[in-house]
Amino acid sequence: MPEILRLAASEWADRASSLRSEGWVATDLCGLDRLGLVGDGARFEVVVQLLHMETRRRLTVHVAAEGDPPTVPSAIGVWPAVDFPEREAYDLVGIHFDGHPNLRRIMMPDEWEGHPLRKDYGVGKVPVEFRPQPFLQIDAPGQATTSVHAAREVDHLGQPVPGDDTPARRESNWSRSGAAEGEAQE
Amino acid sequence: MTIEAERIVERFEQGGHGAFVESFDAREERMTINMGPVHPATHGVLRLLLELEGETVVRCEPIIGYLHTGMEKECEDQNWRGATTIVTRMDYLAPFFNELVYSLAVEELLECDVPPRGQYIRMLLCELNRLSSHMVWFGTQGLDMGAMSAMFYGFREREMILDFFEMVTGLRMNHQFIHPGGVWEDLPDGWDDALERILDVLPGRIAEYEDLLSYNPVFLERTKGVGVISRDEVLALAASGPIARAAGVDWDVRRDMPYDAYGELEFDVPVEDAGDVYARYQVRMVEMRESLRLLRQIADRMPDGDHKNMDPKLSPPPRPELNRSMEAVIHHFKLMTQGYTVPAGEAYRVVESPRGELGCYVVSDGGTSPYRVHVRDPSFVNLQSLPVMVEEGMIADLIASIASIDPVLGGVDR
Amino acid sequence: MGEGGLRLGGVSDAVGANFITVQLDKLVNWARKSSLWPATFGLACCAIEMMATTMPRHDLARFGMEAFRASPRQADLMIVAGRVAQKMAPVLRQIYDQMTEPKWVISMGVCASSGGVFNNYALVQGVDQIVPVDVYVPGCPPRPEMLMDGIMLLHERIKRGEYDARRVPTGA
Repeated sequence: MPEILRLAASEWADRASSLRSEGWVATDLCGLDRLGLVGDGARFEVVVQLLHMETRRRLTVHVAAEGDPPTVPSAIGVWPAVDFPEREAYDLVGIHFDGHPNLRRIMMPDEWEGHPLRKDYGVGKVPVEFRPQPFLQIDAPGQATTSVHAAREVDHLGQPVPGDDTPARRESNWSRSGAAEGEAQE
Repeated sequence: MTIEAERIVERFEQGGHGAFVESFDAREERMTINMGPVHPATHGVLRLLLELEGETVVRCEPIIGYLHTGMEKECEDQNWRGATTIVTRMDYLAPFFNELVYSLAVEELLECDVPPRGQYIRMLLCELNRLSSHMVWFGTQGLDMGAMSAMFYGFREREMILDFFEMVTGLRMNHQFIHPGGVWEDLPDGWDDALERILDVLPGRIAEYEDLLSYNPVFLERTKGVGVISRDEVLALAASGPIARAAGVDWDVRRDMPYDAYGELEFDVPVEDAGDVYARYQVRMVEMRESLRLLRQIADRMPDGDHKNMDPKLSPPPRPELNRSMEAVIHHFKLMTQGYTVPAGEAYRVVESPRGELGCYVVSDGGTSPYRVHVRDPSFVNLQSLPVMVEEGMIADLIASIASIDPVLGGVDR
Repeated sequence: MGEGGLRLGGVSDAVGANFITVQLDKLVNWARKSSLWPATFGLACCAIEMMATTMPRHDLARFGMEAFRASPRQADLMIVAGRVAQKMAPVLRQIYDQMTEPKWVISMGVCASSGGVFNNYALVQGVDQIVPVDVYVPGCPPRPEMLMDGIMLLHERIKRGEYDARRVPTGA
């Protein structure tokens, strides 16, 4: 487990400056929605990863976001590196950063509604559609076009012709035995 | 002459070719121009909003998100092993590094170790991937500056490395091969001959690259003193990897906070001071040579043993086992359907990818799928240093700087 | 293509052998397929494989296609290589609209064909929701040889003059 430091939003601004003066560099910042996690505390947290190069140490800081909308003071004045990460946390998790000069959406289109990485936002799966279509066999490149087989009778526009749909009429598109019996017309 | 013509000639004689313009104020001529997202020189779907005065870039704002795939959300929908397939597609030029950093973070939560052979195979694949990624960088750096042959040279060698990847993992890209616990399959027979061939040929080819670009006066003119970023700016903006090392920051995660078995291997880390495009070029060329040195050591020292942690609760048993043992079948079934559970907690691990510090922050709630996966992509953070590099420069220098940052938009947008 | 057929009275057959007669249709289609110029629309991992297809090992220049035009007005083929995000969709449509007729679209990779590995809020599930597609090349990413197979399929269709086929309603 990493070295973890937990702070409230009000302590973050001062603590950030003191950490920077000790030589810590902020390498990453992300938002966390703790809706499904065990334990009490604020629902939204900002997780900042710090690095101290001289002593080869890493520190993870959890800053609890307060209020509605969840707000945390921005650390951009201390470490300009958190510019884009804070915008991403705002865009995807919905945490506001007080004092960020340019808090706009960064990943999603500007007019998007909602914050996708929140736990009450669905993944947005789309069910796969299988649309009924005549199966057209295209010849492999280099072969002369003999005919175009359709699994069902289709007219010149590709629309199915009303008629019998018995299994006898359907032939496998993988067999070329259509030469003997009448092939479907082109 | 008519009176009008006289006046025109008089003005011409006074002011030269600009005399037809009443007055010229540079600030009034500021143009806002959009570059991208579909642009041949932006390395993918990067959009830059540029404010130009003539040819000089006054302000540059990167606008990203055109490749946002919702990968972090998608990972929460997969089980722990399946999230590797998503994570590997983030930085698509360095897929093994994405998989490695995710696997390291999950292994820290699982508290399981990786056998030495597994570690060495991981290092082998990662160093080859570093080489192939730097070759794409070399090609695009040359192509963006007009040296198209750099592209052909770089990709030619890259095909040799991709052949090796195909032999080992089955795929040329997006391998899904490094999993928590080790690697999915052992190296096939003949891998050492294939690697020998690569190691024989590549040093000469890298020398060819240097002949092509390193001493070329046009290249030097376009890269020295261009896109300069100072050491303080690098630390403030958390730029990492070759950008930091070219500005004097001596930090390489492989050497300073080693993972896998990098502590047992010897290699040097190139550091330059100039902080310009040429310094980054030099750093990456030396990194390629150092990767070859590492590969030679890995090839000589490859240990025997398991290629992954064979705990049946973590890795599926070998296929012959399934014919003999009922427990093996049950373990296989549980692993393939449900997956393994990871104890609750959080972990953050960092590896050195070709672009810089690649980190993965994983939170587990004790279940079979990740609760939160956040990948700290180096290109995402490095792009913030682009405005610093290019402001007060020309558009041509902007192109050179973007190529020297080597951003991969898949990682930026995730 | 027919055999040399111009017979000028009194001139020897050698002249006849130097002429070819052909239907204008076929000539135009042959010319179109032999010099398709793709528009640069590499988005993600498939773009790297598309670049690898133009490189010495797989050499797309054999088909006259190594000239990737940056300007859509000069291109006639759009190879959508990679995943299309919601933010990118209007850009894709705009580039497609700017291309001049005749134009074709190859959807390279599973992400462009159907959303691929990613079925979520951020991606358009198949680029055929935005632009009409002529050839779908599956794979994640497809090998350069697979992309070339898709391109050759398209060449066959162009040679047969089928570029209007996708405009025909199929009841979908």
